[in-house]
Amino acid sequence: MACLSSSRLCARVQDKLMCQFGQKVRRQTLFVKLKPPGPSPLRIFGKTCQRVTTCGPACGTSGTTVTGAARRLASSMQSTSTGSLPDYGTQMVDPYRLLEDDLNGIYEDIRSSNRESLRITRPWIKELERNTNQPELNTIATYYFDGQGKALRPMVAILTAKAINYHVYGENSALLPSQRQVAMISEMIHSASLIHDDVIDQSDFRRGKPSVNVLWNHKKVCIGIECLGNKTNCSIWVAMAGDFILAVASMMIARLRSDEVTLVLSQVVTDLVQGEFMQLGSKETENERFAHYLTKTYRKTASLFANSVKAVALLSGADEATCELAFQYGRNLGLSFQLVDDLLDFVSSSHGMGKPTAADLRLGLATAPVLFACEKYPELNPMIMRRFQDAGDVEKAFELVHKSRGLEQTRFLARKHGLEAARLASELADSPYQKALVVTTDLVLNRIK
Amino acid sequence: MSLSRLGGVLKFDSVKVSQCSALVAKLWGPCIREVSTSSSNRAVAQHNSKPDWNRAVSEAEKIVGYPTSFLSLRWVLSDEIANVALHLRKLVGSNHPLLKTAKNLIYNGKNNMQAWGLIVLLVSKAAGHSPEIPDMEQDKAAGVLHSQRALAEVTEMIRTSHLVHKGLVNMNTRLGPGEPDDMMFGNKIALLSGDYLLANSCTELANLRNQELVELMSSAVRDLAEAEFLGERDEQNNPLPSRPLPLHQREEASEWDCILSPLPMSGVSGCMGREWSARHVLAAGALLGKSCSAALKLAGHGQGLQTQGYLFGCHLALAWQAFLDLEAFSGPEPAYFSLVGAPLAFTLEERPELYRYIEAGKRSVHDVDYHALYQAVLEGSGIEQTKHLQNEHVTRAREVLEAFPNCDARTALTNIIVAMLP
Repeated sequence: MACLSSSRLCARVQDKLMCQFGQKVRRQTLFVKLKPPGPSPLRIFGKTCQRVTTCGPACGTSGTTVTGAARRLASSMQSTSTGSLPDYGTQMVDPYRLLEDDLNGIYEDIRSSNRESLRITRPWIKELERNTNQPELNTIATYYFDGQGKALRPMVAILTAKAINYHVYGENSALLPSQRQVAMISEMIHSASLIHDDVIDQSDFRRGKPSVNVLWNHKKVCIGIECLGNKTNCSIWVAMAGDFILAVASMMIARLRSDEVTLVLSQVVTDLVQGEFMQLGSKETENERFAHYLTKTYRKTASLFANSVKAVALLSGADEATCELAFQYGRNLGLSFQLVDDLLDFVSSSHGMGKPTAADLRLGLATAPVLFACEKYPELNPMIMRRFQDAGDVEKAFELVHKSRGLEQTRFLARKHGLEAARLASELADSPYQKALVVTTDLVLNRIK
Repeated sequence: MSLSRLGGVLKFDSVKVSQCSALVAKLWGPCIREVSTSSSNRAVAQHNSKPDWNRAVSEAEKIVGYPTSFLSLRWVLSDEIANVALHLRKLVGSNHPLLKTAKNLIYNGKNNMQAWGLIVLLVSKAAGHSPEIPDMEQDKAAGVLHSQRALAEVTEMIRTSHLVHKGLVNMNTRLGPGEPDDMMFGNKIALLSGDYLLANSCTELANLRNQELVELMSSAVRDLAEAEFLGERDEQNNPLPSRPLPLHQREEASEWDCILSPLPMSGVSGCMGREWSARHVLAAGALLGKSCSAALKLAGHGQGLQTQGYLFGCHLALAWQAFLDLEAFSGPEPAYFSLVGAPLAFTLEERPELYRYIEAGKRSVHDVDYHALYQAVLEGSGIEQTKHLQNEHVTRAREVLEAFPNCDARTALTNIIVAMLP
């Protein structure tokens, strides 16, 4: 509860701060525009990001590009007292590469692939498959765990676990099996909520592939696993599959035999549902609306990051302050992640994003870019209230958002949370994992999908 | 009872405090009203013969104080439920099944959900608790532990959540004009309400700080989800029996002694009796059994008694199911009845050729010729066998009760069981 109210408080503070931020952002944009080829700042970040993700750890040049960008950012924001970033210059760490061995098994473990070889090489529990004797349930429940997702949540959880273990125990620390379980659980909870979102949103695409619902509606053959024939009991089955994944995740949590971890992770589930409820309604006044939006964002996205990271910290036996630091890192990273997500909904093509552009508007949701745009174009207010339901609302709102500074302001807020996460991570003992945590904040900010 | 308060909350604008008392009265209303009307009607006919169901339940409720803490004000005042109530109003007039589920939660007489939490509490009281449990954690007046009351609440929340999720409408089935929007919206509300209950039960369980218990109860949620996938289904996910197989074609049946791992499905399909048991163990027995077992765990009882608790819950749930299945055949011929009920299962076992009627319902169970099947059940020994089956489960459940000391809670449980017998 404390964290919720603090996030609410924080939301309010941010809301007030934004007015001051606005002006700084304008100055900064001016700076970008003066640069010779003059691409939009987002474009710059997009390109850098591509380079970062495609190259390995040894990519000095593009690494410095990001660092350069980050440093520029940091200096441009110094007045807002975010502190300066540590100089990790040439030691650019790719978190995914760093955790290659740890991450590889995650999806197989959750999904417990049929291949016998995997059973042998991955001795950990084949959770979902082990927990049902109903083939259709197995198929639907494992649909999302095909290894194509970014696995950002498990990655962050494992990375934090290693960084904190190093922080507490030094060089000889290793990832605990229980921490690895938490990483899996975080992805399972995330997937369970995605699956339920599919029933609610009827969104056609998730992670670049048709959502479970559409798939079952159209009686498509399920990605080569197994054909479900003409069984099309989609809504109920999909809902049940979500419940099932949650139940299996709860069983895994319980088997960690830690009261604290169970409490922390059950909070995530509560937050997810409350966030979903918040999404049903909206607030009348602008101030309230932004606070509502930020609380919703915390509950729907950041809570999972924050609490799973806190859970691995608890399991490592770190002291309370370190656990809180981990929680705040996850919270800020999660907020930044969702803000970027909301931003990309307005700029990314349906191809790159794996989700149609302005999907949120179409769902009637007013996200940060719209809420910011509202300051300049009050005519957005009635549209927000009627959830963009009238003809032409979506297009009009989309256009106004692009005409306003909404996108910049959203980016700025995302950056602010990203930098705060980076600052928190830099408080941990110096290790490759700790550096990777800092890099992760950049990856989240600069991703293009 | 989650949704029972919705009726009240629809008028949310007035003063909250007075609303509360009105709501509580409303919540209590159904069972009290039913008891007073039905028991006075039947009192004459059934005078002193055997305990009436409603009376047995209401007497039992007095024994453990009040049904469960599920009706607590905390619940009544939650923002989310108020939210659901407001949205539910928009659904009135549509025929989304969520409305029916909500109504059934309040008025569904013998299938009353309240009875589930009640049984957990009665088992808790009947078994007593270990002397080591501090006074602080006991509800002395009711004779149960606070943790057991919370558990009973979780049992009801899990069950309600499952019922609500089960009531989702399949969007790809044939819908009338204008219906898709209503159904879509209804689905959204149903999904969220169910998730809300599930999330709450997660938190409640976590607060009990007993990880074995969390694991056990989570496995019950898993079982409920599995139940929805068992066997044949029509397009709206209504269950159909599988085709009866001749004895020599059936798989060998495996033992069902596992509690935490999922129920083995070998030898289930094609064997009507076993399929009936598997279906209802997953859909009902597992939750009630595991809840009873968990209640005994909380009281500090040993593994042996916990297993007995599980068996009691399972047998009681199956006896209960058999009783409900029989109801369709005790009065005038109903327009529809469960196609996976025990009487029909036994009849299909006897006369596999009747399966052609079931096949007609592959698209929708409404396409089935219920009259023909009804007649077939009446002609065969299905009803007789179901009564036998029910007796068997009742006997097994009562055997477990014998292990408990003689007390008012045990008597109340016995009365509930006996009231079920035909």
